[in-house]
Amino acid sequence: MLNFEINSKEIDKIEKISREEKDFRIKNLEFFKTIGFPNKRFEDWKFSDFKNIVDNNFNELAVNKVSNDISNIDLLNDFNHNYILLVNGSLHSSNFQYEDKDKIKISSYNNNIDYKVTKNPLVCLNHALSENGYFIEIKEDYKFKKVLVIYNYFTEDIKNKILNNKNKIKLNKNSELHVIEYTVNKSKFKFINNSYEDIVLDDNSKLKNIYLQNNKSDGFFHKFLRNKLSSNSDYSNLIFSSGLKFNKLDIECDLVGEKAKCNILSGLFLNKDEHQEIKTRINHLFPNCKSFQKVKNVLSSQSKGIFQGKIYVNDIAQKTDAYQLSKALLLGDHAEFNSKPELEIYADDVKCSHGSTSGSIDENSLHYLMTRGLNKENSTRLLIKGFLNDIVEFIKSKSIKRFVERKLEEQVNGY
Amino acid sequence: MKQQELEKTKEYKYGFTTDIESIRAPKGLNEGVIKFISNIKKEPKWMLDWRLKAFNRLKNMKEPNWQKPKYPKINYQDLYYYSAPKSTKDKPKSLDEVDPKLLETYKKLGISLKEQEKLAGVAVDAVFDSVSVATTFKDKLTEKGIIFCPISEAIQKHPDLVKKYLGSVIPITDHYFATLNSAVFTDGSFVYVPEGIRCPMELSTYFRINASETGQFERTLIIADKGSYVSYLEGCTAPMRDENQLHAANVELVALDDAEIKYSTVQNWYPGDKNGKGGIYNFVTKRGACRGNNSKISWTQVETGSAITWKYPSCILQGDNSVGEFYSIAITNNYQKADTGTKMIHLGKNTKSKIISKGISAGNADNTYRGLVDINKKAINARNYTQCDSLLMGNKCGAHTVPYIKNKNHSSIIEHEATTSKINEDQLYYCNQRGLNQEEAIGLIVNGFCKEVLQQLPMEFAVEAQKLVGISLEGSVG
Repeated sequence: MLNFEINSKEIDKIEKISREEKDFRIKNLEFFKTIGFPNKRFEDWKFSDFKNIVDNNFNELAVNKVSNDISNIDLLNDFNHNYILLVNGSLHSSNFQYEDKDKIKISSYNNNIDYKVTKNPLVCLNHALSENGYFIEIKEDYKFKKVLVIYNYFTEDIKNKILNNKNKIKLNKNSELHVIEYTVNKSKFKFINNSYEDIVLDDNSKLKNIYLQNNKSDGFFHKFLRNKLSSNSDYSNLIFSSGLKFNKLDIECDLVGEKAKCNILSGLFLNKDEHQEIKTRINHLFPNCKSFQKVKNVLSSQSKGIFQGKIYVNDIAQKTDAYQLSKALLLGDHAEFNSKPELEIYADDVKCSHGSTSGSIDENSLHYLMTRGLNKENSTRLLIKGFLNDIVEFIKSKSIKRFVERKLEEQVNGY
Repeated sequence: MKQQELEKTKEYKYGFTTDIESIRAPKGLNEGVIKFISNIKKEPKWMLDWRLKAFNRLKNMKEPNWQKPKYPKINYQDLYYYSAPKSTKDKPKSLDEVDPKLLETYKKLGISLKEQEKLAGVAVDAVFDSVSVATTFKDKLTEKGIIFCPISEAIQKHPDLVKKYLGSVIPITDHYFATLNSAVFTDGSFVYVPEGIRCPMELSTYFRINASETGQFERTLIIADKGSYVSYLEGCTAPMRDENQLHAANVELVALDDAEIKYSTVQNWYPGDKNGKGGIYNFVTKRGACRGNNSKISWTQVETGSAITWKYPSCILQGDNSVGEFYSIAITNNYQKADTGTKMIHLGKNTKSKIISKGISAGNADNTYRGLVDINKKAINARNYTQCDSLLMGNKCGAHTVPYIKNKNHSSIIEHEATTSKINEDQLYYCNQRGLNQEEAIGLIVNGFCKEVLQQLPMEFAVEAQKLVGISLEGSVG
């Protein structure tokens, strides 16, 4: 049993904050303290009993600051890219060598006041304690020439810590940005990373995001993404984050302008006792918007995959086109897949559908491949690859696609 | 009849009340009332103890509040828990002894008990407020060894069966309304089909709430012994009143080896008026256990009435190769709200389940499908197929789908799909062009939309249900 207590003195340690902000932080901390880590009694945490997970994995947890000094980091050399380096959640450095620097604003992000109080205890904890994330703003009409890699680096000494950080990405009118968020975890110990990301897309802007990591990790990750998509903007999120002990991505998208588009895609391969949840809520608040979600999970050994997706359509959001599909391939005897694809619809002239399937590898396909001379293991691998390939196909750039494919292969071959 | 009343009956033709003398238990929920009910039914001590156990449990329970349709707090002390027509105090032996006024009521509802008695086909148990007033076709059923009687009679005549199965599917500790029902249930049907018998006719219960400020708490228990088959239908109506009335029933089904139970409901409780005033709160717990191998339970429901419908007829698939089915049409109009669906819990090997749900929402109504498919670790080769379709008419209503899917077995296959749409303009245009007016056209299209479910109903009910679908949506377009 974990005895986790946070003193409000932690908030006093945060520098340069207004009285108002401090009150906001304290209010959130108080809320977190009354509830603690969410357990399965919370509808949103029904399939991931976070309290139980934390109790089973941690004897102690601390929120105090960690240093963000590192000497060097191996950058990816598969393709040319700009980068932002985050060390233990804090902004360390950035490099925009391929871009017009006047068009980009980057700074450390400490603003913690423009947020609504929510009922999600982990978000409250983040509101209370987060500091030193990054804030990037792209000026009007500027389109990035090369991809931006955000290295999310965790140092070797991180142990029994809970790190809270908050980031913001703002794209002004007609701008475009491609991001790869790449987690590199050097720590061999358990820790929790609780982050919050605020994404604002102005009219006609476009953001493409890919989640990946370098290696398997014993980290516990929770990330809340809050997206606001204006008219004609286009947001895509591709999630390939396999190999984490615990990962929950909670994505909320508000489509607040006509013809806004939102794509959430995921291809995951989970192994051992990995636990991964994707939760989405797409709020169609304006007419003519489009959302597309496709989540594919391959679950082996004792892993657990969860998809909770919700499409909400407001009564004025006519001509909405919303689609949601979750598919799971269960390979392990103890693997588990839970899904809750939800629709809440108040407009009548809409096209909304969802599908969810889960099952084992198709015996006929396996048989077919084996008659062609492949052994069982290779046939299975090929079928898994085919199953996940669907998602990888959404990546347009050849070099990035090759890179993602290689990473996925590393995951699958570990099987 | 006055013009105003005429107008009213147009909306809901079962909205009349029968002026009949009745006996009531004192208002309120307490031990005294439970003892009163138990006493008036001449129940044995074990039954009273069972009720009191439930009541004691209830004291520490809270009403659930996770449902989508919210409702004002119910004052449980302000209800009558027992109301019965005076004339049936000494139970009539044959229909000739039944109060003519009661028979007239059922005739008005379209269920002429006398006629039914003459025309072979359906055996009816009529439940009026808290008691069963008549059961037809008893002789023919007795011949085959089938027991079909009010549950209060079964408690006295077949205590062993009741003791063994009552509360075995819905335990008294289950949830607030189930526990409340266990404490205060008044009547309902009891069916036992012996080994190897195929019930020669449809069994049917017709529920009617008549008295005001009364809650109806019926309890139905159906047991299909090895290799037997039974098809059971229930229908319900209530008068139009400005108050909301509570109906909290428990229905338990048990299917043993190779047995099959088909349970059909046409629910047409008073839905409230156009402005959402009045109507029945239909909070029902229905659960079936496929206990034996190769057993099958099939639920079919047509839900058109009630201010709020809140129920999930479920199947617990315990036996190997057992099958659970759920076919549902839920129509909500005006200010009606429905939160309905099913639970399919797969425990045995090779278990199969199928869910077909059609939700139609019009006016200011809200319609939610909520369901659970749970495949247990041991349920090897389990199979589920779910399809939920919603139809919206107008942009003031809502259609929601909340499926929970849990799969813990890698050899199982689960498929779920759901769509939401409105009535296709082309189809409407086509129908209009062929001379159908708007309302007829919608009736036709909606009936087509529901066809898969309507087909599952026994013939006698299918015709009625089809009409009901049309009537329920009257006035929703224009």
